[in-house]
Amino acid sequence: MHDALIIAIIAAVLALDDRAGWGSLLAEPVFSGTLVGLATGETAAGMSVGLVLQLVWLSIGAARGSRRPNVVVGGVVAAGVMCLGVREGADEARLAACAVFLGLVAGEAGNWTSAVTGRWRERWIEGFKLPADAAAASRRLLAYSAGSALYVGLVDGIVVLVGVPAAQRAAALLTGRLGDGARGVELWSLALPGLALAVMAHAFATRNLFRFGLVGVLLAVVVTWLF
Amino acid sequence: MAVLNGKLTRGDLNRVFARLLYVQATIHRRGMQNLGVLHALDAAAPRLSDQPATLLARHAEHFNTNPNAVPLVVGGVLRIEEEGDRGGPASITRFKQACASALAAAADVFFGGGLKPLALTLACVFAIYRFFPGLVAVLILYNAALISVRYRGLSFGYARGWGLIDSFTSPRVQRALVLIRMGAALAGGLLAGVICASANRQGTVVFVPTLIIAVVAWFAVRRGFSASRLALALFPVAWLMAMILQ
Repeated sequence: MHDALIIAIIAAVLALDDRAGWGSLLAEPVFSGTLVGLATGETAAGMSVGLVLQLVWLSIGAARGSRRPNVVVGGVVAAGVMCLGVREGADEARLAACAVFLGLVAGEAGNWTSAVTGRWRERWIEGFKLPADAAAASRRLLAYSAGSALYVGLVDGIVVLVGVPAAQRAAALLTGRLGDGARGVELWSLALPGLALAVMAHAFATRNLFRFGLVGVLLAVVVTWLF
Repeated sequence: MAVLNGKLTRGDLNRVFARLLYVQATIHRRGMQNLGVLHALDAAAPRLSDQPATLLARHAEHFNTNPNAVPLVVGGVLRIEEEGDRGGPASITRFKQACASALAAAADVFFGGGLKPLALTLACVFAIYRFFPGLVAVLILYNAALISVRYRGLSFGYARGWGLIDSFTSPRVQRALVLIRMGAALAGGLLAGVICASANRQGTVVFVPTLIIAVVAWFAVRRGFSASRLALALFPVAWLMAMILQ
């Protein structure tokens, strides 16, 4: 419970940064996973799970007009499950695949929760009236800004606080008690790099950009071949 | 950095800037960023007008642009308000609308389609090689770029006022957009190459299915499927396959 609380506080701060602040990138899974790893003493485990989630979510940018899953909740829950599981001595490869899957589910669930709770916030903000007195206007603007930001952080913090223990139980079920079916989790994790390649090709799908992407691929292939 | 020659001091602009960092906090469907902008303007309103509440009331209407471009517009608004909304070709509301729509498109391409994917793909490459200092460097450089663009944007907007609109048509802006997109594509290709090389190292049994899945997923993503949901949908398929193989 103590660990889940620390992870939930991290999620709340990251949600503040991502949706109320300037978006410092800390909320992106590759960074949030590392951050959760640092907090739990399992940096490499947190980073690896965050990396896989980042690859899956890389193409879904706001500029493309599609709604992203809640990356804060997804990234933090996945990293939390992975780091706490590794600490308890679970099989790392199988647990990593489970953590990524549960992170994807948590991202979708977090998105739904944000949408539902966001309606209450919207209703509150839409009731804003600008007072005729300048001092009162200042106070009210500050109250609305701070209140709205804290609300966003609080909602994601609570979702993660509930989500991490639930996801831990689900991970235990998937890895330990379902026998041969658990092999499917590992098989699924092999499909994710292919998905990441598709995401990358889609993100830079214009002819001009594709040429530059191709140069990057060749560069990486040559460098990895040389070293 | 632009030299300040108005009523506002560097300290005033710093206060406006600090509030603009949280402009997204009060985003809502009806007015979008209007409360965030009001909160930022409130930091400088007493310096610009004897009736700060009236000044704020003039800016309570809908406002929406890329959050990284808001400081530029707010800087321009501060200058125009300081000059008493005189000498411009249109109303200050028109100025805000024109700036917001022009900057939204450019800043979405620059930040959402260029700088952010560039930073994230480089972060992924560093994470693949477990190079922690690289991750930290990406984070620091990205934030330094983002914050300096916002801060300089506020000063630039305040220095230019109405003249801000002319700067959008500069070929330098277009060149920067093209360059950042190319950089992001190059980094994306680099990451794709690293993934391919890593799959190849694990043998043909991994490499060939990875390529097949990549092609199938690419078609699906092109048709509008979310990559995240596609990954979730593949889970029961993989489970079923594992059961059959057993």
